[in-house]
Amino acid sequence: MKKNIYQPIEAVIEDVRHETATIKTFVLRPKFLFSFRTGQFIELNIPGVGEAPFTPSSDPAVKDRLGVTIMNVGSMTSRLHAMHSGEKVALRGPYGKGYPLEKFKDKDILIVGGGVGLAPLRSLLFSLFGEVDNYNKIVLRYGARTSGDIIYKDLLPEWAKKKKVDVMTTVDVGDPQWKGNVGLVTTILKDLPIELHKAIAVVCGPPIMMKFVNLKLLDLGFKPEDIYLSMEKNMSCGLGKCGHCRLGSYYICKDGPVFTYEQLKDMHDIWD
Amino acid sequence: METYFLKHQDVFVFYSRIEEEFELYAPIKVEAKPRLLCEHGFSLPTEEYLLRPFSCIQEKSDIVYNEYRCVEPTRTLFVYPKENISGDTPDPRRQGPSKPLAISGLKNCDIFSLKIQDFVFLGGDEVDPFYQARREDALIISGDCPAFKEVCFCRAFAIDPYSQEGFDFNLSPLNDGYLLDVATEKAQRIADSLKNILSLATRGQLAGRAQKREAVVKKLDAHLALHKIPTKGSLKDIVVSGYNSAVWQEQMLTCVECGGCVFICDTCHCFLLADTLSKEGPQRMRIWDGCLYKNFTRVAGGANPLKMRYMRLRNRYLKKFDFFIDNTGTQACCGCGRCIEVCPGKIDIRYILKRLYEEKHLSAH
Ligand SMILES: Cc1cc2nc3c(=O)[nH]c(=O)nc-3n(C[C@H](O)[C@H](O)[C@H](O)COP(=O)(O)OP(=O)(O)OC[C@H]3O[C@@H](n4cnc5c(N)ncnc54)[C@H](O)[C@@H]3O)c2cc1C
Ligand code: SF4
Ligand code: SF4
Ligand code: FES
Repeated sequence: MKKNIYQPIEAVIEDVRHETATIKTFVLRPKFLFSFRTGQFIELNIPGVGEAPFTPSSDPAVKDRLGVTIMNVGSMTSRLHAMHSGEKVALRGPYGKGYPLEKFKDKDILIVGGGVGLAPLRSLLFSLFGEVDNYNKIVLRYGARTSGDIIYKDLLPEWAKKKKVDVMTTVDVGDPQWKGNVGLVTTILKDLPIELHKAIAVVCGPPIMMKFVNLKLLDLGFKPEDIYLSMEKNMSCGLGKCGHCRLGSYYICKDGPVFTYEQLKDMHDIWD
Repeated sequence: METYFLKHQDVFVFYSRIEEEFELYAPIKVEAKPRLLCEHGFSLPTEEYLLRPFSCIQEKSDIVYNEYRCVEPTRTLFVYPKENISGDTPDPRRQGPSKPLAISGLKNCDIFSLKIQDFVFLGGDEVDPFYQARREDALIISGDCPAFKEVCFCRAFAIDPYSQEGFDFNLSPLNDGYLLDVATEKAQRIADSLKNILSLATRGQLAGRAQKREAVVKKLDAHLALHKIPTKGSLKDIVVSGYNSAVWQEQMLTCVECGGCVFICDTCHCFLLADTLSKEGPQRMRIWDGCLYKNFTRVAGGANPLKMRYMRLRNRYLKKFDFFIDNTGTQACCGCGRCIEVCPGKIDIRYILKRLYEEKHLSAH
């Protein structure tokens, strides 16, 4: 008998980590081993309630568990945020193409994240760290609204200590405890320790942030084909069938969610 | 491909033979309003045809030969408007007929649309198991159009009002019966069991059919000439370059967001997966969805790339004439005119395409 492509597999919530007031990381143990490439996404399902797309934030090398970092923004995510370890969810995927790591070889990799957009980038970082000899340099620039909105607070300083890695964080609005940079993430895209001719950039965050980061990167001299953007749209099937996620001649679920700016630059209203 | 002659009085025998193995859908007629005088002066028929299960049609004499497409889009029989798709192994027969499907009364626009649906549900890396089960077993019985409705515009997109492929059987009305094309093994097996009512078509009969086909094409082309519908080759270009055309704003004024155009359309395919709780536990449903609805593209926090009605109207055209042409080489519109008939706002795809063409090619002069 054929496989039911719409049916998720069961997964148990093994751990829930509070990242911020509105963001939690759920560690899930799927019923079967689950492989994904970094940047691919899953449809996470609460049986009988609903389903939404999320990009795993965990290391793709780990096959028996996966982490998803989720912001509480609406009906499905608020139900999820009320769930605890031991409870059951379901998931299907992985979907989409993910990051083309083969193209990042020997490059200076600039990674720019905004808010919960650091989630998929964490999975990318784990993948890069796992084969760090393949890359020349890894530069992370991360922006959050306030210091309270920063996710992976314990990991950021750890990453900063790694060889070949350079990390800088900024907040839009400062507070007395915050000692770092204050300003939008574009303000820390200056004096980057990279060599442009062998650099690529990976960006993930809210549309408005991606729009301005993309402009800034073009301004800095990045070529459109070297800027990788994570596009987000309403999705339902994840399989290129339901029609919800069309962007120009692409389906984001099938052809993305990661696109180079080269692929998008002639389209209308891509940031809406 | 063999072609036979089937006498009119034997059609019931033919259908009954099919009904032995299949769940047959056949057309019935809904009585005519007055005929319609088109701008060209042709008096055009207005009766409607509906597809009904053969087994449910009490008076078999109600079954007719439909002169043009039926009201329902064919896809209703392959992807149900609302369907339970739960389960680790798909169960395509949980809903709908338990036998394979046979559909008579399909026209070439329907055959064209099936190819679009095939691309969506059978194409790509993952095959839709529900669609596949129904589609692979199905017996497709198409038929020539000896007439057309005012809204028909298949020929504008080089789709003929008769089929030459994509069917198992094809019927062409001729004199006191039909020419029956037998295109597949599945169909041949049935034809072989009906030797007593089928005779090989004569050369004269084939020539007669060709003449009739030509006559309909000529009349339809004359009718369409007045509408000045852009040809297939220009569609992508005019829709893409018409992105900022005033036509979207102007035409959306009468759209009441009923979704009629997308649901009646045989080349539309969008759906939504919805989770519900029933007595038996959690259920996954697949429900038809449509891009004319406001929530179609809404994302968390309320942002919506298609927040205005004119954007949604335009989006439908971009999907049909840009996305599909890029991905399949052909437009996702068969020219059936169903959306024109259904729209309470009188929004007419022929008019919008004509306007886009004129703005692109005539406005500068
Ligand atoms: C490829 C991809 C990866 C994502 N990764 C993450 C991640 O790692 N972490 C994270 O916090 N968020 C992520 N998101 C966003 C996340 O999917 C939405 O926040 C989530 O769908 C909101 O669901 P809700 O029911 O709580 O919101 P509501 O606003 O209540 O949504 C109601 C309905 O609107 C639709 N909807 C609303 N927003 C979206 C959306 N963005 N995508 C699809 N459907 C939507 C759904 O049909 C949903 O049922 C990702 C989105 C995409 C497309
Ligand atoms: S049928 Fe007409 S009124 Fe209804 S949604 Fe379509 S365009 Fe709008
Ligand atoms: S868009 Fe209108 S004319 Fe074209 S296939 Fe759909 S219903 Fe028929
Ligand atoms: S989510 Fe269904 S087509 Fe992309």
